[in-house]
Amino acid sequence: MILEQLAGNLIQGLVLGAVYGMATMGLSLIFGVLKVVNVGHGAFIMVGAFVTLWLFNTLGINPILAVPVAFAIGMGLGFIFYYTTMQRLIKAPELATLLATFSLGILLEELIKLIFGSEFRGYNWVVGKINIGVTVFPMAKLYACIGSALIAVLLYLWFNKTRAGSAVRSVVEDSEGARVCGINVGGAYALSFSLGIGLTVASGVLLTMFIPVGINPYMGGGYTLKAFVIAVLGGLSSPYGAFFGGLVFGLIENGSYTIFALLPGVEPFALTRFLSFVILLAILLIKPTGILSRK
Amino acid sequence: MKNKITKYYPLIPLLAAYLLLLLIGKNISGMWQLVAMLIFYCAMGQAFNIFLGMTGYVDFGYVAFMGVGTYGMALAITHLSHIKGLGILIIIIGFALAIVMSTLLSMAVGAVALRLRGAYFAIATIGVNEGFRFLIEGARIWNGSEGLIFTAQLNQILGRETASSLMTFWADIIVLIIAVLAAFVTLYYMKSKIGYALTALREDEDAAKVMGINVTKYKIIAFITSACFAGLVGATSWALKTPYVFPPEVFEIHYTIEAIIIVLLGGAGTLLGPVVGGLIYGISKYYLAIFMPGFQLLIFAPVIIIIIVLFPEGVVGMLKRRVKGSALAKFII
Repeated sequence: MILEQLAGNLIQGLVLGAVYGMATMGLSLIFGVLKVVNVGHGAFIMVGAFVTLWLFNTLGINPILAVPVAFAIGMGLGFIFYYTTMQRLIKAPELATLLATFSLGILLEELIKLIFGSEFRGYNWVVGKINIGVTVFPMAKLYACIGSALIAVLLYLWFNKTRAGSAVRSVVEDSEGARVCGINVGGAYALSFSLGIGLTVASGVLLTMFIPVGINPYMGGGYTLKAFVIAVLGGLSSPYGAFFGGLVFGLIENGSYTIFALLPGVEPFALTRFLSFVILLAILLIKPTGILSRK
Repeated sequence: MKNKITKYYPLIPLLAAYLLLLLIGKNISGMWQLVAMLIFYCAMGQAFNIFLGMTGYVDFGYVAFMGVGTYGMALAITHLSHIKGLGILIIIIGFALAIVMSTLLSMAVGAVALRLRGAYFAIATIGVNEGFRFLIEGARIWNGSEGLIFTAQLNQILGRETASSLMTFWADIIVLIIAVLAAFVTLYYMKSKIGYALTALREDEDAAKVMGINVTKYKIIAFITSACFAGLVGATSWALKTPYVFPPEVFEIHYTIEAIIIVLLGGAGTLLGPVVGGLIYGISKYYLAIFMPGFQLLIFAPVIIIIIVLFPEGVVGMLKRRVKGSALAKFII
């Protein structure tokens, strides 16, 4: 009985993990290329959630179609923020970029609060359920999982098969060398930054399929912390590492929840979040390059 | 000998500012609430500055130290209130417990996080407050998510009258004393070997290491000192002023952000910065709350970005550069 429940929760965890992974790729991409930690990461996920909500509730647009819209909005936000602020801070001490991205997150939260209000909202997308024996899946979650995997593959192809992708990879390897070879390093930074933000906002759309009534301007905070744990699991600077880190994290989160729920006198949800913090510190202490990297 | 006295000149504008605050608060009716808030912000900034300002490391989980300090005081009062005749001594035990607890937490966090640099340090610390909060709530430590309420105990120990004057007036005075103490310590560190080592570390950590400076040791000193003062501020401003403690409130990341804004506004790593920053931030927050309620963060967020991009040195940092070489230079650091 308990094993069946555990199996069901682990499968759920894997599906959620794929979306977590995709939601972290943007963070890792930005850190990998610009060496900037986007501390306002969760706020961009929140923006994606509100894009979905707005498109669905006012125009009746399918949340799947909201993904490209959210991606485009994210790219736009990324470009604007890169050219107004980040560009001037690339050479500044870390304190500056950390605070700038954090403040941007707060600014987005407050703007969304101003437009949509701060109560919890949601949308009702009916696409049915599927029973796989040990657990029942709403179809929306499966779509989100498949969408995440697809986006990860697309990013991989973009990186390895296009000129722009190669340019970005060369900047990651050696930005001075890339400059000498005639690559527009500033352009590569701008592109990677906005691509990272675009991916993050798009992931917000997919995440709403797991929390259809949990959309709120301050929902991003929890995701920021989770994304850091996942990014660190995957080695912090690799988007694919982040994707697999997400799968691992989904399994840990759901597995530990099932086990904590058996203990008397504790709150399993809070303990699960404490555990993710402990994992973060443990990895940073033992192997800061990530458990999934070979380095 | 003369050098020893001039060393303490910068404390003159600092103490003058605090004295002025006290006079305004005592003599103009209705101002004490604002003054108390300003004292709190100055104290928090002064405490945080010892670490952030002197090392350049950003600790996003800073509020956790204030939180455990609050719990230190709360635990002392709730657990010792049945002992007769402790009286005011219980507050002193509370402060001692606050220091012990914030020191222990900072040693635990520091042992992991201070091995890391820059971005990795920030990531390691960003979850400390949340992690600690979820530990308290999840494992139901110290009454879990229900928190601790100890107004009755405080009244019973000190008497209703003393307790209420402690909450409304003396707690603020204690915070002020903590702020002044933190300023003394900052100045002492700045003018000693610790300060020079930390400056070297802030400018170029690798070079400092090569020069034979034990950077880890000085980072730990600054980290623990800063955490202790944070614990004291929490124990006074939160536990004594409002005798209850709820985990989501005392581990709220926005206090960390306020501390960072204050330090940055005034000028990171300067002695007078946190006071200037605390006053500017506190006064603008107070009046924005009156005239534009609900819009404070919406206004502060872009302001921080602008400060980072255009005025990274802060007010005192710029002032310091202006007065360099003049007679005023002795007073402003």
